[in-house]
Amino acid sequence: MWKKLKLFKRKKLNQGASSRNNLSDLFRFKYSCFKMLLDSNAEFLKIITDIEEKLRGQQVFGMSYVKSRSAQAVFHTLRMVKNLDDLSGHRYSLLFDVLEKINVKIKEILSKRKEIPPTELILPYCQINAEMMDWVGGKNANLGEIHSRVGLPIPGGFAVTTRACESFMADNDLFDEISRKKMEIDPDNPETIKTTSEEIQRLIVSAQVPATLEEAILLAYAKLAEADSKGQSPNSSLRVSMRSSGIGEDSELSYAGQYLSKLNVPSDRLIQTYKEIVASLYTPRAIAYRLNKGIRDEDIAMSVACLQMVESAASGVMYSRNPFNLLKENIIITAVWGLGPYAVEGVITPDSYTVGKNRQTIAAEISHKTVQLVSKPDGGLMEIPVADDLQDKPCLLPEEIGILAGYALKLEEHYGCPQDIEWALDREGRLLILQSRPLRVADYGKNYPITPVLTAYPLLIEKGTTASAGVGFGPAFHVASDEDLLNFPDGAVLVARHSSPKFVMVMKKTRAIITDLGNVAGHMASLAREFAVPTVVNTNVATTSIPSGMEVTVDAYSGRVYLGRVPELDSFQITGKSPMQGTPVYRVLREVSDWIVPLHLLDPKSPNFAPPFCQSLHDISRLVHEFSYTEMFQLSDFVSDKKGVAFKLKGSIPLDLYVIDLGGGLTETSVHLKRVSPDKIASVPFKALLRGITHEDFQQNQLRPVEFKGFLSVMREQMLSPPSTVERFGDRSYAIISDKYLNFSSRVGYHYSILDSYCSQTVNMNYITFSFKGGAADDVRRNRRARAIARILQSLDFAVEITGDQVGARYQKHELPLMEEKLDMIGRLLQFTRQMDMLMTNEASVEALAKNFLMGNYNFEEKILRK
Amino acid sequence: MEIIHLLLVDDEEDFRTTLAGRLKRRNMDVTNIGSGKEAIELVREKSFDVAVVDIKMPGMDGIETLRQIKKIAPLVEVILLTGHASVEAGIEGIKSGAYDYVIKPCNVNDLLLKVEDAYRRKLVEKGHTQEE
Repeated sequence: MWKKLKLFKRKKLNQGASSRNNLSDLFRFKYSCFKMLLDSNAEFLKIITDIEEKLRGQQVFGMSYVKSRSAQAVFHTLRMVKNLDDLSGHRYSLLFDVLEKINVKIKEILSKRKEIPPTELILPYCQINAEMMDWVGGKNANLGEIHSRVGLPIPGGFAVTTRACESFMADNDLFDEISRKKMEIDPDNPETIKTTSEEIQRLIVSAQVPATLEEAILLAYAKLAEADSKGQSPNSSLRVSMRSSGIGEDSELSYAGQYLSKLNVPSDRLIQTYKEIVASLYTPRAIAYRLNKGIRDEDIAMSVACLQMVESAASGVMYSRNPFNLLKENIIITAVWGLGPYAVEGVITPDSYTVGKNRQTIAAEISHKTVQLVSKPDGGLMEIPVADDLQDKPCLLPEEIGILAGYALKLEEHYGCPQDIEWALDREGRLLILQSRPLRVADYGKNYPITPVLTAYPLLIEKGTTASAGVGFGPAFHVASDEDLLNFPDGAVLVARHSSPKFVMVMKKTRAIITDLGNVAGHMASLAREFAVPTVVNTNVATTSIPSGMEVTVDAYSGRVYLGRVPELDSFQITGKSPMQGTPVYRVLREVSDWIVPLHLLDPKSPNFAPPFCQSLHDISRLVHEFSYTEMFQLSDFVSDKKGVAFKLKGSIPLDLYVIDLGGGLTETSVHLKRVSPDKIASVPFKALLRGITHEDFQQNQLRPVEFKGFLSVMREQMLSPPSTVERFGDRSYAIISDKYLNFSSRVGYHYSILDSYCSQTVNMNYITFSFKGGAADDVRRNRRARAIARILQSLDFAVEITGDQVGARYQKHELPLMEEKLDMIGRLLQFTRQMDMLMTNEASVEALAKNFLMGNYNFEEKILRK
Repeated sequence: MEIIHLLLVDDEEDFRTTLAGRLKRRNMDVTNIGSGKEAIELVREKSFDVAVVDIKMPGMDGIETLRQIKKIAPLVEVILLTGHASVEAGIEGIKSGAYDYVIKPCNVNDLLLKVEDAYRRKLVEKGHTQEE
């Protein structure tokens, strides 16, 4: 079992520098595995979130998305498995086979669907729909869907496909050339990115568009001009807008705004503009973005939307529902004279019309419109005054309002969710749709649409936290055990004390979920969103104020629960099918995600928490993550018991702390010593950290007044869940040191923290990485604490990532005095956090705790947090 | 840390020599070569600690080069470098025993730290094999 350790036993660790070097190498090796594993874990969880988002079916995506996301998920899981296996001296090799089995399944599913890319360089919108995302990009796919499937008018135009872009790039060998140029980039030096970007863009713009492509574009333009001439001689002065329609645009990994769009393009600039748009794939921002996200150039392609310039007499935005009050099924239309940007940029107040579902105008607020935006004859835009007689005139006639409202209803019905729509009225009086996208109703923590309190109905719960938006009605059913889940009736509302991923068993049956405690970033919340179950957590009183059997209406938009049926909310059940959900591509993602997303291994203490029981990539990653912490501590535990290797630190340190010197970390050591006093420490980073840990404000060791509720919650947690790690030695902290190196791992109660740092005169070699996980108290507080720690670390200039209750932070390449200062602060933070859970009584405490720490108040009273 | 014997395999000569130059300044003994085939020959003759191999090379590609290196000298840790290849190649690479997979252009310091980590892994793995 411990092959790796036998090596040290035999070599007698306490003799000679060479074995110390071995030990040093071993620790640093182990830590590097651990770090890679955590990196991949964070990436993997992001991928899961993104897939869940797509499964809700309201974003357009293509097969290339499904393939690349699946491959990334496999890659990061594999990297985690490999690093755990290396870390443990190859005791987890079995996981490779488990992973391979799942990988084979994923590949089988993906290979079933053969995509045949279109050979066309140009496609008219009547031949485009949402499933063609991969070949025409998001913007074009959406426009095509609106035109060919919803049957609404859009501006005349055509799409230049990604096939065209590939032929242009291939014809000029641009990919290889670009690859060569990219060698010059030093990701840490923005100047090199800028220079390379300029070179690459110059290269693309000066390349020759293949003759076939040039002809195809000009021919499509000629047809457009002919159609526009209405039987007259073709309008050769017809201008078009050329917009980038990047792959991945309008989706979670949106490149929105990163690529070029040109308005008012005359016919003799079509080809040049096309090249400029392709070149915008390589703006400094786009390059940096892809480097950062690890997106390959091969995974990007550019399609262009070429649309007739609409000389808008008026234009604006339309919401198929009131975005601030979803209960109101009224359509909101805003309008300005001239071009659309002024309707959204707040330059002038637009007209605002409220329209009922019967398309009758309910209210019209006509504003005073003094200026408008129009196209300049030579391209570009300009502001001109509005004619006096139009300044106070409504932009839309009643019948135009009726037509637009009808379009909004059609779009909402087609997409199965409220829409945010851009429209324009051209000089001929035609109303056109320029764009339609889901009205974001699930932007947690942003401007969340609200539903007002309905005073006509008894309110059972005034305020919980929305974990998954929506409305559900049904009889309450309490779940306190696995048995309750087995007996869960179809169509009931689940009421529980804690949120639990186990609820997934009944998510197809339940109308809504309400819990006393819970976490919107937790597993259950993400499952609830995946299954579109309206969910409210953090109510504190659900189990005590809603008896089993009581019929309730859950308004998960605003976190309220009413007694009985609430017709106003009842009518607001948007469960329409989205256009994605019926498509073959969606079905493939759904099938593949079954092997990636579900989490079955929930309890580290269960005998089933083991490799053979992994049924998904998520299971594997969860297992690896849990075991990696255990592994990191086992070696420390082992070594700390070897004589002459580990020293217990003497003095007034509030920790059970062992020091393992890898060389040069202590001024003098003797095999006969078991203890070492702090003044013997020579390790630069360790000294700095100890300064913080022993900061005088923590020396008073006063018992802080604990709020009773918080105390109980910690107690309960301790009674309910013994720690899942090996508790052979109880709580211990280890400092593995050399003169310039420190690896400090600490296990206190339920929380682990691992810090790794190198501090020297060579600025470029210096770094601190810090990871913090777990803790007593319930999920909600754990997550709050993670966020408070993240806030503090951010203020200390660390780069920070939070996943659930784990915080990861980095600080690198700074001068020695700064490094020492940060380590001192982390020492204080470690002491500070030991009691933090107790104080995490509400959301405000996150900010308050972070603030107090940053101000140097380490012994504040409870009442400060009450403010 | 001892001097690390590094083998750098990439068909892009400019890139190779620039990187080799930068790494040599960091207490490394760097041998650089332009093809997988030649790399294999070198591995037969000389003992290396770490190899940095570009995935996309004409002739023998990086994955095949990795496999051959591992056959001849299982303890050499191989870092795959790619400006081109796909995540699938990364998966193949790790399955075939690569240490890790790095997207270029990459920062020289980060690569250096990765090379050092790979070297430590080699030492640790070497300890194992001596054990068994």
